[in-house]
Amino acid sequence: MENDDRELISELKQENTRDLAFHRLVKLYQERLYWHIRKILLNHEDTDDVLQNTFIKVWKSIGNFREESTLYTWLYRIATNESITFLNSKKRRNLLPLNDVSDYLMENLTSDPYFEGDELQMKLQQAILKLPEKQRIVFNLKYFDEMKYEDMSKILDTSVGALKASYHHATKKIEEYIKRSD
Amino acid sequence: MNKLKKIAPELSKIKKEQPFGVPDKYFDDFSARLHHRLETEKQALPQPKNPFIRYLKPALGLAASFTLIFMLVYWPVKTFLPDYLAKTNTFIESTNEDDAFRTFIEKLDENSFFALLQEPHLNEETINGDFNDEELMSYLSSNISEYEIYLQSEN
Repeated sequence: MENDDRELISELKQENTRDLAFHRLVKLYQERLYWHIRKILLNHEDTDDVLQNTFIKVWKSIGNFREESTLYTWLYRIATNESITFLNSKKRRNLLPLNDVSDYLMENLTSDPYFEGDELQMKLQQAILKLPEKQRIVFNLKYFDEMKYEDMSKILDTSVGALKASYHHATKKIEEYIKRSD
Repeated sequence: MNKLKKIAPELSKIKKEQPFGVPDKYFDDFSARLHHRLETEKQALPQPKNPFIRYLKPALGLAASFTLIFMLVYWPVKTFLPDYLAKTNTFIESTNEDDAFRTFIEKLDENSFFALLQEPHLNEETINGDFNDEELMSYLSSNISEYEIYLQSEN
């Protein structure tokens, strides 16, 4: 996998192979990145916008990628940052406090025509929405994607210890929320 | 999973599935839509400039700045203080005459210099180097021996 990525990066950095390599990169990572962004933004339309922004950013900055991390963590990092930037722009536009976007996301969740889960899953999503932004991202990456803490550490620029603690606290809070809402 | 059951039994009962869906063929079409947007972005990006112009640009900018500064200083002085410029030009001319005289003196060797001082009949024209070949020959033959001329030419 890493060898394939190295070859892909090398092709992305060369002018004559860039277009084709970029098409391969999109095909390879579009679904994983989509679901990662979707779990942060919840709404399909917003996710589509941010996914496009993510790949445009990748296209523009692939020349600056120093390969200190893997391609996969670098892509996740860009996608995460783009999602947070999108939420911050929503906060600014709606004159919301910087830490409060949960109402906007709750509306996204309840009005989403593509939500296919049952009642319990809706309750879980609502519980996740109650978490602080970063804790929410940590929980999603660990609980749904089962990502390694080491990879998460590179994506979120946070120590493994802090991530473990964050996930533990998030799990406890969600458990409490589910118990209370029964 | 067992750990999760211990710390969050209610949470562990919930199906760990993706509850969201996407429109039909979304991932099939995404690449094409992205390509379209990328083409638009590429057109919006500034085109890379000719490298020759890129290297010449700072020099041209510097030259233009100097020209501008010169015009900003010279033009108002010329327009509003024409007398000042005229004085400056006279001074420059007199300086040039002084320079020519100094150059002439520096070219003279010691013997010629004292010979010139001893000949009171020499007028200014001769001092300024304005004499013909005959006068030069007669001056040399009367004041300098052939041996001295030979030594000078050897040096």
